[in-house]
Amino acid sequence: MKILVCIKQVPDMESRFKVNADGVWYDERDLAFRMNEYDEYAVEQAVRIKEQLGGAADITILSIGPARVVEAIKKGMAMGGDRGVHVKDDSLAQRDPWQLASTIAAFARSKNFDLIFTGMQSQDRGSTQVGAILAELLGYACATTLIGFELNGDVVTARRELEGGVKAIVRFRLPAVVTCQLGLNTPRYPTLPNIMKVRQKELLAFPVADFLTEESLTITEKMYLPEKKGRARVLEGDVSQLADQLLAILKEKTTVLR
Amino acid sequence: MNFDLTEEQKLIQETARAFAQTELEPVAARLDQTGDREIFLGNLKKLAELGFMGLNIREEYGGAQAGMIAFSLALTEIARACASTAVTVSVSNLVCEVIQSVGTEAQKRAYIPKICSGENAAGSFALTEAGAGSDPAAMTTTATLDGDAWVLNGSKRFISSAPYAGVFVAWAVTDKTAPKGKGISCFLVEAESEGLVIGKAEEKMGQHASATNEILFNDCRIPKDALLGQINGGLRVAVGELTGGRVGIGSLALGIGLAAMDYATRYAQERIQFGQKIANFQAIQWMIADSYTELEAARLLLMQAAFRRDQGQSFVREAAMAKLFATEAANRACYTALQMMGGYGYSRDFPLERYARDVRVTSIYEGTSEIQRLIIAREILKNVNHE
Ligand SMILES: Cc1cc2nc3c(=O)[nH]c(=O)nc-3n(C[C@H](O)[C@H](O)[C@H](O)COP(=O)(O)OP(=O)(O)OC[C@H]3O[C@@H](n4cnc5c(N)ncnc54)[C@H](O)[C@@H]3O)c2cc1C
Repeated sequence: MKILVCIKQVPDMESRFKVNADGVWYDERDLAFRMNEYDEYAVEQAVRIKEQLGGAADITILSIGPARVVEAIKKGMAMGGDRGVHVKDDSLAQRDPWQLASTIAAFARSKNFDLIFTGMQSQDRGSTQVGAILAELLGYACATTLIGFELNGDVVTARRELEGGVKAIVRFRLPAVVTCQLGLNTPRYPTLPNIMKVRQKELLAFPVADFLTEESLTITEKMYLPEKKGRARVLEGDVSQLADQLLAILKEKTTVLR
Repeated sequence: MNFDLTEEQKLIQETARAFAQTELEPVAARLDQTGDREIFLGNLKKLAELGFMGLNIREEYGGAQAGMIAFSLALTEIARACASTAVTVSVSNLVCEVIQSVGTEAQKRAYIPKICSGENAAGSFALTEAGAGSDPAAMTTTATLDGDAWVLNGSKRFISSAPYAGVFVAWAVTDKTAPKGKGISCFLVEAESEGLVIGKAEEKMGQHASATNEILFNDCRIPKDALLGQINGGLRVAVGELTGGRVGIGSLALGIGLAAMDYATRYAQERIQFGQKIANFQAIQWMIADSYTELEAARLLLMQAAFRRDQGQSFVREAAMAKLFATEAANRACYTALQMMGGYGYSRDFPLERYARDVRVTSIYEGTSEIQRLIIAREILKNVNHE
């Protein structure tokens, strides 16, 4: 079983974001970066399959981006990935989902992966498109927003989360691309010995030009922080007064109690 | 000159932080008040499984072999959430390091993997006695050879983790006629050893979840091969290994200081008095500025000491400076943070009073501040010639 996990490195979401000088992305200076949260579920699921198959799987962790993304790749390898692939691209912020998916597809096309995992979306761009476009480009089956995953032979039975709490169960054959929702599993912490042993694993690096030939189809024209609307209201008083005030507000301004 | 952490160090820091926030922080206040040992030991086991008990230990003995910078980073993150857990991790690492540094191959294989894997909840370091604190050479516990066994008699005071440690690294006098400090040896004493009694638990000001007990050796018989390192060469081992431990305690103190200041600083941005956030008052701003400056200086001293150790350079002076400064800066930071929160800092509804109690001992154990100053001065003076 050949598995590819596509991950992205994103800023820590507790950071304070500023729009950059071009006005089309956030300023990356002074931000702490980490693995996109959705992708942690993707890596975990891949590692669980490898465990389910008694080790008979080979997991490649791929990330596109500048030098800093190697840290996220190494985390994926410490969690159980067998090899890392760094597609070096200093212009990640300008790539649209079409270009990212095309780049990954160009890398993956000749390699016959059975299963490709991505996060449902990235925490910074949030397009939710890369996985689905990748499946289309490779001619693979595709299921998105997974909250359950089961593999039997070459058949996947997956649970999807739809709008409004509705769930769906889908079944499909490999090869496939799946995108992972939060809560699909409980991602493991990488152990310290495994973090230190990542150095012994293979980490391949390619310039993005090796795979990227497509122009972007969407252009971000402007990025801006939402205007501050209204003021938060701080309720004061003892507990019973607070409860009364809250109840009044909920009745008056919302529909939750109607 | 390069101040960047390696990718591995960053990942270890991230793992420690994530674990501390999810598993330790939510129970820290409860552990402080009830000392709930089951939860405490459960978390230690998980930390061991992740590799935190043998940060500097070689892979063949079950360690992570991650170096002392990683050790420092990990302890700071753990201590931000729970100082009791952090001290147990620090001392267990220290015990593993003592065994790794002077143990025989058989001793290393027998004891280190058990601590690293969590099979033993912790390791204990038994040096201090009622009459021998800052001056460990004054110890009176004895070990005498009787056939193929050592027989230990005496008692130790303030021994961290004693009720749940799997093994004790313990020091005893083996040659009473030798000059002071030259007749002390080190031993490996298993928890089940006949004649080893876990005595009274210390009732402490802070770090409540971590047990600190007296231990008694009543004709405690241990095998002849339980001698750790050279006969009569034990004190040098204790003094030498404590150098690394000091980086651990300084890093732990830094974590508590940062937790306190982070909490109080957020509070200052929310608390309104005289119609404005108290963070607007210059008095509060100076507290924030001074505390964070000191904590940052502490971090750099710790990183320098750890870096030198990782490079194989001497770090006695640097470790003592780092421990002295970091623990005292962290004490000041906790005191300041508590002050910034007024009455709420003093209330059990907030974690500040716990931080202030937990941080206090860091300038006492593993060498008081006064002893650190003695070490620093000695290291400086020995390099200054006088005619
Ligand atoms: C919570 C806790 C956990 C501990 N855990 C352990 C453990 O796991 N293992 C272990 O072996 N020990 C442990 N200790 C013991 C600790 O290391 C000692 O308490 C410490 O070394 C100080 O010794 P003491 O308490 O006897 O104080 P003393 O040595 O009696 O010191 C009293 C005062 O005199 C000062 N002083 C002493 N000598 C000098 C000098 N030459 N010049 C200037 N001032 C001096 C000291 O700095 C201090 O202010 C622990 C202690 C505590 C409180």
